[in-house]
Amino acid sequence: MKRYLETGNFAIAEGAAMAGCRLFVGYPITPATEIAEAMSKIMPKIGGIYLQAEDECAAFHMCIGGALGGLKAMTATSGPGFILYADPYGWAIGSEIPVVVLNSGRVGPVSGITGSPGQGEFYNVRYPTQGGNYEAIVLAPNTAQEAFQLTVEAFYLSERFRTPVTILADQLVTDGMEDITIPETDKEKKKMGLRFAERGVHPGPVFYPDTDEIDIPPVVLGRKTHALCSDWTPTAEGYDTEVVEQCHQHVYRLIYKIRNHKDLITRYDPLFMDDDPDLVVVSYGTPSRVVKSAVKKAREKGMKVGALRLISLWPFIDEIFTTKATYLSVEFNYDGQLVREVQRACPKDSDVHFFGQCGELPKISDLMDLFKSLLDGKPISAIKWEREAW
Amino acid sequence: MVMDYLAEKYLRKRKTPSTACSGCGLGEAQKMLLKAIDDLGYGIDDLIWGTSIGCAGRQTFGTWKGDGLAGTHGRIYALISGLTLTLKPEMKIVCTVGDGDAFGIGLMHLLNAARRNVNATVVVCDNLGYQSTGGQYSWSTPLGSVTDSSPYGMFETNWIQDGRDVLNIIREAGATFLARHVSMDGEFGVESMRRALLNRGFSLVHVIFPCVTNYANTALGARDSIKIFRWIWDHACPLDQEPKKDTIWRTGVYHDTTNSRLDFATAIHNKLDELRRSERP
Repeated sequence: MKRYLETGNFAIAEGAAMAGCRLFVGYPITPATEIAEAMSKIMPKIGGIYLQAEDECAAFHMCIGGALGGLKAMTATSGPGFILYADPYGWAIGSEIPVVVLNSGRVGPVSGITGSPGQGEFYNVRYPTQGGNYEAIVLAPNTAQEAFQLTVEAFYLSERFRTPVTILADQLVTDGMEDITIPETDKEKKKMGLRFAERGVHPGPVFYPDTDEIDIPPVVLGRKTHALCSDWTPTAEGYDTEVVEQCHQHVYRLIYKIRNHKDLITRYDPLFMDDDPDLVVVSYGTPSRVVKSAVKKAREKGMKVGALRLISLWPFIDEIFTTKATYLSVEFNYDGQLVREVQRACPKDSDVHFFGQCGELPKISDLMDLFKSLLDGKPISAIKWEREAW
Repeated sequence: MVMDYLAEKYLRKRKTPSTACSGCGLGEAQKMLLKAIDDLGYGIDDLIWGTSIGCAGRQTFGTWKGDGLAGTHGRIYALISGLTLTLKPEMKIVCTVGDGDAFGIGLMHLLNAARRNVNATVVVCDNLGYQSTGGQYSWSTPLGSVTDSSPYGMFETNWIQDGRDVLNIIREAGATFLARHVSMDGEFGVESMRRALLNRGFSLVHVIFPCVTNYANTALGARDSIKIFRWIWDHACPLDQEPKKDTIWRTGVYHDTTNSRLDFATAIHNKLDELRRSERP
């Protein structure tokens, strides 16, 4: 094991290198620039390639190009760049090409506040491209250490599911300096729970099978397999088609290869959830760290509060929202995004509330005041989300 | 039915005969390229065939017996920039794309691919507008032409007339081989395609071809293939001849600095090798 005092950006680059990433194409953007800088140092040392593209759309396309040639590839950006990924993200989903994407959230809309953390991308990462008919895989670290581990995991999942995987971080996770442990031996890697998957080459001729199975190698070009891949709905062999039945086959696969193997993807971190808490606080990313401290303090003061931290965001883990309680979603935004999914997934007639702010962390004391108000049945100043309203 | 020799050798049965409209000149452009490929002795595993959105992309996608890909609209140039890094040095990429894809939505990516000198031959099959969506003008539509979106005549500045030529921009960007032809140029065009393929770097051949269904109908007043074939022929003039007053396209080799600088992938792999050597104790 090696220990560092380093940023999340460094951790992500180390994770990518360890997972076998050999092509990184980026475009400078705060707060994801340092990942690109770290990759520009690491990649050439391990026989990999670092490049900058003319924009994020091209960066992702170049990653797809490399992935089509058999390389594990990655790109990283923030919200304003992520929207330019829409085009290639859809291409990679449809043609089932593994690529890893990092989105470090800052305050929006548009360019917003560049150097402050935000969580306005919760739905963007679920619907990164147009047209629907797909499921997306999204992981959300809350520390630099977890950013390292989830980067390795993102490559693993993208290979097994042959689809792009997004790591949704925020500015504090990527820019923050923390204690990071990087395993070196296989035993250490295993102990940390890291999983690895190699790139296969699909031999053809049925490149897009009618099945929800995973572990099918992707199309690789230049290997004499006579593969076809495109942005159109493919037949099993890859020809473009306008036949609705073939579209059904294809999109069934895109959706159910993920839904039917959800257990491989989903992860969450429960805190004090064993004794049916009266209030459940839901969060992900950096806010979850403040939530954790606040919930622990609240417990010390006798408040029956529990917390659910989402580590994988999509597919959404509906199954864990079984506790009959009041719910509070704490987010780095003002419009309330995660809260909508909590509203949908929690038991019927649950009272669901939202507290959000971005740019800076909520104070532990503020959260504890909120918990107290909610447990006392008093209304809170932040927007109250009524199930009936939906 | 006796299949064409080139189609038999290089094209997939499922995609022949072509799905293009009857009378379309796209087949002439693709045939020029296939003829050049055959002349140079390439086999189906020596080339990856890329396409894009629109008539030129959709109708040529999946025709090549070997590997094929189609990018999203205008982005194939970025895609192949990444792909080329992974290929064996002897492998080639050819792309058949449309005028809207290359000179409209994808121009920035095209220019950057030219700057990088990506080892690929891009054949821009230009049917003078967006014909697969019903016939709207593009920036290669001749001035004054009536299209579905220029009912009073093409009024926007284009990339090919009034002293502008998009090939000059692409040359400045760094392309190492550039030529323009009309689809009826035959062997004259095949010769340019051969030279394009022999360039280990970014080659682009711009080929004007007739659209009988839409462009001929709105701009020339009739779905008359002979009329539009003749009209295009009459408005083209080889570079070494004196242009007429109504010449729109100058044809021939515009620029040839074949193999004068390293292509993108070779340059990057050389740099990596250099780093590897310098780090060795």
